[in-house]
Amino acid sequence: MNNKYESNKWQEVINWVQTRSLFMLHYCTGCGAIELPPTMTSRYDMSRFGIGPAATPRQADILLITGYLSTKTLRRVIYTYEQMQNPKFVMGFGSCTINGGMYWDSYNTIKQLDKYIPVDLYIAGCMPRPEAILEGFLKLKEKIETGSADGYKKYNKEYEKYKKNQEKVLGEVKRRQ
Amino acid sequence: MRSENELIKLLNRDLNLLSFKKLRKQNISIRFENEELVSGLNYLKSQNYIHLATISCVDWIEDNQFELIYQLFSYEDKISLSVKTRINRKTSKFVTIKNLWGVAKYYERDIHDFFGIKFTGNDNMDELILENWNEIPPMRKDFKTRQYVDKKYDWRQYHGQE
Repeated sequence: MNNKYESNKWQEVINWVQTRSLFMLHYCTGCGAIELPPTMTSRYDMSRFGIGPAATPRQADILLITGYLSTKTLRRVIYTYEQMQNPKFVMGFGSCTINGGMYWDSYNTIKQLDKYIPVDLYIAGCMPRPEAILEGFLKLKEKIETGSADGYKKYNKEYEKYKKNQEKVLGEVKRRQ
Repeated sequence: MRSENELIKLLNRDLNLLSFKKLRKQNISIRFENEELVSGLNYLKSQNYIHLATISCVDWIEDNQFELIYQLFSYEDKISLSVKTRINRKTSKFVTIKNLWGVAKYYERDIHDFFGIKFTGNDNMDELILENWNEIPPMRKDFKTRQYVDKKYDWRQYHGQE
């Protein structure tokens, strides 16, 4: 792929194919987990959009963070995120991931998820209904297709910045890769 | 099966209670001196109060005291018993009851996490819930939550926000 034009065209095809099969890892320690069973199963059935649940981080494309993260769970989310293979996308779900939500003055929960891992898309609400989640997935597919869901590239590029933010709240983070 | 009044009569006969109170139906609260507590719990266990539901703690900062509350339940009387005692807030030390109920060692670790109370006899006082905590324990009343949050986390800035 030395030709730039060719490489772009090829990337477009890859992006298009990618949106047709997405596997989602849902990190459920927040209350948002309760919205996922109806989203996944027959009532709203997200598999008709080509999205299914994944069993392990290494098999997943999307990391869905459903709700608040305490500093203890943030550490596990970072491990999970770093285990996932590129390309990988993160969705923040519910107002807790955006600005702390109802835990805005809690001593133990983080206030902005995008300071610690790159977030491609936020779904606002407390709680977002399954319709909102599906809307979010469609929006993410749009972003993947246009190539603007590039959080994982940003994470590699600005790794030092993210690492600094992570270590500010967690102390040392042992990388296990 | 004993009624609440029968139980109170029995406890008054056999134990050295500081005070007792019938809170509502099937719910009694009793209070002990520090030294009496373990023998009191031992006696209650022999009287079919075999279920230790939890150990809870209250910070009475004005009185300079911590209150420990042991929640017991009897499957025969169907009565919940809150066994309370107050300890000095400065020394914040008490004895373990892990020999009576094995599960107590986790409740005590939990209280050590959040209130900083040491239980002598319970050797494992590692962090159970918190991680890398080096401030004063967060559930103490003199822990300034807002100040800590301001220092540790950044607030999100919105457009148009002053």
